[in-house]
Amino acid sequence: MKNKKVLSKRMTYVVMIAPALILFILFNTIPLITGAFYSFTNYKGYGSFEFVGLRNYIDLFSDARVGNSYLFTFKYAIIGTLLVNVLSLLLALGLNSKIKFKSALRAVYFLPNVLGGLVVGYIFSFIFTYIIPAIASALHINFLENSILAGEDTAWIGVLIVGVWQAVAMNTIIYISGLQTIPADIYEAGMIDGVTPWQKFRHLTLPMLMPFVTTNLILSTKNMLMVFDQIMALTKGGPAQSTESISYLIYKNGMDGGQFGFQSANAVVFFIVIVAISIFQMVITNKKEEQL
Amino acid sequence: MSEKMINVTEPVATEPVVTETEKKPSRKPKTNKRKASVFVITAFLIIGCITILFPLYITIVIALKSPSEMTNDISGALSLPQHFSLDNFAEAMRVTDFWRSLGNSVLITGASIVLSVIIHSMAGYALGRNMNRKKKFKMIYFYIVSGMFVPFAILMMPLVKQTSILGLDNMFGVILLYTVFYMPMNVMLYSGYMKNVPLAMEEAADIDGASAWRTYWTIIFPMMKPMHATVAILTALGTWNDVMTPLVIMSGSENTTLPLAQLNFQTQFGTNYNLAFASYLLALLPILILYIFCQKQIIGGVATGAVKG
Amino acid sequence: MRKSRVVISLLTAAAISVSTLLSGCSADSGKDGVTTVTMLQYKPEAVKAFEKIEKLFNETHDDIQLKIESPNEAMTVLKTRLIREDYPDIVGIGGDMNYSNFLDADLFEDISDIEVIGEIKPAYLKMEKELELLPKEGTYALPYVSNAAGILYIKEMFDENGWEIPETWSDFIALCDEIKKTGTDLLYLGYKDTWTCLAPWNALAVGLAPSDVCSSVNAGKTTFAAEYSEVAEKIKVLLDYAEPNPYAYSYNDACTAFARGQSAMFPIGSYAVPQILSVNPDMNIDSFTFPANDKEEDNVLNSGIDLHFSVMKGTKNKEAVYEVLRFLFKDETVQIYLDEQGGVPCKEGDFELPDFLSGMEQYIKNDRMSDFHDHHYPSEMSVDAMIQTYLMDKSNNSAQIFLERFDKEWTRYNRDLIARVKKYEEGQK
Repeated sequence: MKNKKVLSKRMTYVVMIAPALILFILFNTIPLITGAFYSFTNYKGYGSFEFVGLRNYIDLFSDARVGNSYLFTFKYAIIGTLLVNVLSLLLALGLNSKIKFKSALRAVYFLPNVLGGLVVGYIFSFIFTYIIPAIASALHINFLENSILAGEDTAWIGVLIVGVWQAVAMNTIIYISGLQTIPADIYEAGMIDGVTPWQKFRHLTLPMLMPFVTTNLILSTKNMLMVFDQIMALTKGGPAQSTESISYLIYKNGMDGGQFGFQSANAVVFFIVIVAISIFQMVITNKKEEQL
Repeated sequence: MSEKMINVTEPVATEPVVTETEKKPSRKPKTNKRKASVFVITAFLIIGCITILFPLYITIVIALKSPSEMTNDISGALSLPQHFSLDNFAEAMRVTDFWRSLGNSVLITGASIVLSVIIHSMAGYALGRNMNRKKKFKMIYFYIVSGMFVPFAILMMPLVKQTSILGLDNMFGVILLYTVFYMPMNVMLYSGYMKNVPLAMEEAADIDGASAWRTYWTIIFPMMKPMHATVAILTALGTWNDVMTPLVIMSGSENTTLPLAQLNFQTQFGTNYNLAFASYLLALLPILILYIFCQKQIIGGVATGAVKG
Repeated sequence: MRKSRVVISLLTAAAISVSTLLSGCSADSGKDGVTTVTMLQYKPEAVKAFEKIEKLFNETHDDIQLKIESPNEAMTVLKTRLIREDYPDIVGIGGDMNYSNFLDADLFEDISDIEVIGEIKPAYLKMEKELELLPKEGTYALPYVSNAAGILYIKEMFDENGWEIPETWSDFIALCDEIKKTGTDLLYLGYKDTWTCLAPWNALAVGLAPSDVCSSVNAGKTTFAAEYSEVAEKIKVLLDYAEPNPYAYSYNDACTAFARGQSAMFPIGSYAVPQILSVNPDMNIDSFTFPANDKEEDNVLNSGIDLHFSVMKGTKNKEAVYEVLRFLFKDETVQIYLDEQGGVPCKEGDFELPDFLSGMEQYIKNDRMSDFHDHHYPSEMSVDAMIQTYLMDKSNNSAQIFLERFDKEWTRYNRDLIARVKKYEEGQK
């Protein structure tokens, strides 16, 4: 009797996991494997295909366009992650202090997070193309009179601004919840000792906040590496192919350009890179946490 | 923990102790200073709000204007409209088939939430309760959670093929895909939450003779309520604004979602920025309204999700 | 007992929701006796013309229901559907590299038995043949309209100032200098959308490089560096006369600016006219062939198949599809399209050429036309973006860098094709 019940309990657990597991295998693992399979072919997405062995992978490393997309994506992700974290930490410190209109201000600063990236991109595209140059020419600020999206060297900044604008919200919230986990008596101890605000931050707040820094770094790096919506809305990879992100290139040439096979290889490499970076970050930040 | 704290406070305590005790008698300047700093911070934060609200202001103003009111100088873009008219909105609603795309978006987001809450909570519970004792469960847990690192880009092209073979190149397919995409995060959240739910409840129910299935739905599932809210909010924000999945899975069908419609109708908008911005504003409006009424819950939900994750 | 009841009720609930969702998505497959023909055409700007045609067809046919889709980014949509193997019955696309690839992948039905072929101008059928990567038996596309690209100009502005239509490159430059002196902006380029860069590129290339340059390069007989150097040089000269920072403005912006009279000329194809007129319906636009050469007789009009129809392989209702095609090629239907969109009909007959093509009429009548070069460029090579990169490159040897890159990328993106062509030619011998 009892035996039967234990068995059925285990069965219940199995039944509970089954739908998730089946869906996950069907729509995550199987496409992952098929994607890897196509990466060894010259498949266009339609018609017939041949196996080309490792040719796609060899090509990847000699393809200037793919190389540039990696450079752009990493430049974007690294600078973006730093900016987002500095800004959101500052905002969180501000929003967590004893200020007026606290909840209203928090609500405003979180707003970008609920808005869709594509539409936000379209709005900023208009601002960059028309409004900023108009303001700049009225104030005679020469370097801003041209749309920053039109310059090969500046377009990525435009994409970055929009990306950061949206990403700061989420990280701020995480930092605020982090700050709230720090018990007030620690500060009071510090207060009596008469510490400068910077010292207080450096030696009291930051160490306590370290787990949240980890979360935020991983979260924003991952999101920034996958940048797509902003590119689609702002530059479509231009000008002069200077803002082609990896995701955008895979979409553009894989779906539209008849490079299904080649871009599958690109996607496989991208996947490996993301996993490697995430593991690397976790190891590093874990070490940091232990040190502090 | 306590060791850490000592380490931290030690170097600080050494230097300024003396000066501080000297200042102690006069407390007043300090509160004044405090007040001043609060004021400065508040002022900075309010000024900072402009960066958030300015794009929205532009959107609203342009959406309300007629094309003839648009000129190439700043005042043309920034000034308030001379006549209040909702024509642009009516036209945008007609062009983008607003109500239909809104309906689709609501359906997709709603169904994704329901499926996620049911499927992920079950899995999260079963895994969270067993992974520390049974190796197989632990493996499954890590297998699913590692899905977090799989970029959509690699799944995209095979999924397009696969969903169509299965007859899922429609809204239902998109819903199932969302259920899979948010699974790693949600399962992690749910199984993490199980640490806070004492085993005693289940044991008591067990003695009463209730089946594990029944115990889950009558006792555990309701107890996970805060996590359901978090999962629902995170899933909703992600699915509502997503463009790429419906773009590749449902393209060519007559059904679009609200953000996808903005992409699809770029050519129809042409250079009529007023029409385009009216449509953008309409696309932002549902979530804006929801946000205004439930911002506490939304921010709270996101915060718990992030902290637990 | 109780447990199984819960499971069953949950399962039924799930099944019901699944079936309602699925049926909601495929509700329109009822109605007996009516065949539905779906068509996807790739010109979203022609949506109005096709709505009219669709309506007219459905009013006159009880047994066939025609559905025409005109999505934005239609090529991506079409390719996604091809990946999905969810084929429409008819596709209306341009005579370009995409068509060549689809044909090469054996996606189209041989329609040489449809009688309307006899009414199509042979020059266009020949153009279709040149799009075949490897020579193929049969007819796979019915050319519908072609377009012509060169320079559009504002007629009043030219008349008022007594400016003459330039016939040679030096005349053109002299005119540009003259207009520049008056302070009028003379060219609006709108290079933010990379494809706009291809418009002057093609118009110059047809005049300056042989029309079979791509297949010659594939056969190893020449290089792009040799054939395109003058094209590259001249397209850069245009920048001196363009709006400041053309990379900030899109095609839409350029159309609007031209429509508002902000520039005297616009180097683009006839396909832009409907959009320009939608901004300023009273505008009097005319056009002329791009004077790429210093001798008038060397100039060639850039004209290619803008829209042709192909039937997807494996269509279930060939008879109904043919009926649709016959309807599309009726004189009245062609005229509906021309009235909305303009362009040059590929069908023989007395169609009224739109006014804005009158400057190109002589070239059209005398058949001094050549297809767009980019119709032979593989889309994943993104030649348009390469041209944009070149135009933005301010270094002295930019042309050399660009042309070397062109040759290098070309052999890379086309190597499978080059190998196949070689094999095929060896087989022929």
